[in-house]
Amino acid sequence: MSGESDPNPVLDAIRSRRVVRAMTDEPIPRETLERILDAARWAPTAGNRHLQRFVASDDPGTLRALRMVSPGMLQRPVAVVGICVDRDLAVDYGFARHAHSLSVDVGTAAATLLLAAHALGVGGGPVTSFSRAAVGAVLDVPAGWTPEFLVCLGHPAPGGPGALRRGRRVTWQDLTVWAPRP
Amino acid sequence: MTEPVWVLDEDDALEVLAHLVTAARTQVDEAAEYGPLRLLTAAHKVADRLAARASEPTAAFARDHVGPLPELAVPREGRDEYVARLDAVCAELGALLARRYVPGRSS
Repeated sequence: MSGESDPNPVLDAIRSRRVVRAMTDEPIPRETLERILDAARWAPTAGNRHLQRFVASDDPGTLRALRMVSPGMLQRPVAVVGICVDRDLAVDYGFARHAHSLSVDVGTAAATLLLAAHALGVGGGPVTSFSRAAVGAVLDVPAGWTPEFLVCLGHPAPGGPGALRRGRRVTWQDLTVWAPRP
Repeated sequence: MTEPVWVLDEDDALEVLAHLVTAARTQVDEAAEYGPLRLLTAAHKVADRLAARASEPTAAFARDHVGPLPELAVPREGRDEYVARLDAVCAELGALLARRYVPGRSS
């Protein structure tokens, strides 16, 4: 199977999701945002520890300030979900405060958020290029949490910057080798 | 030399300032190929404002030469083309600056 849709609705959603970098100013209903956030709590977490936290905003002033301190945020979202790590809780579990493994659950949460948004007809754009310190201040992130990932949300608009890389679509075979059988 | 004209208001300038300062921090951890990309994003932010408020030659440069530069292009793929395109824009910029600041230069 290459670029066509998949009869399985979950796999089709995975295949049809795209990074949205141009968004309209149409607001997203609060209940839709809450459904997306509810989906995020179902993301897999190591040891079922739930060390990731979410800070959401649909306030225009907050979003404007967020965009200013996020060089990678090219879109103008109508809502943003900041995925954070509760570092204090991680330390309580015995992690080093800045253990790389804590980023894994941020990734699963981000993927789940983006997919949930797509399933509800909302475009999503991931942003990792931002000042943690500035975003923490803008979002008033609670002490002990660190912002690690921003998910921009909005309805897709035509235009906007294209994909970072163009060319042949990467296949699973490009990315995979089979481990030798004994 | 033309009379000074305000082409950025405080909010515009603050946006560019915030981008540059925070990009300096993010670039410490990001792939090096993002360096030119972040600078071009800043250039687009300024050019968008310039195109609306500056003198016609400056506005034309912002609109016709900076505006079409792809925001997400990186030099890793198609490096020669990437460099050639930026060199062409830099040459246009040099010519604009010469016309603006060097007496007797009209082309």
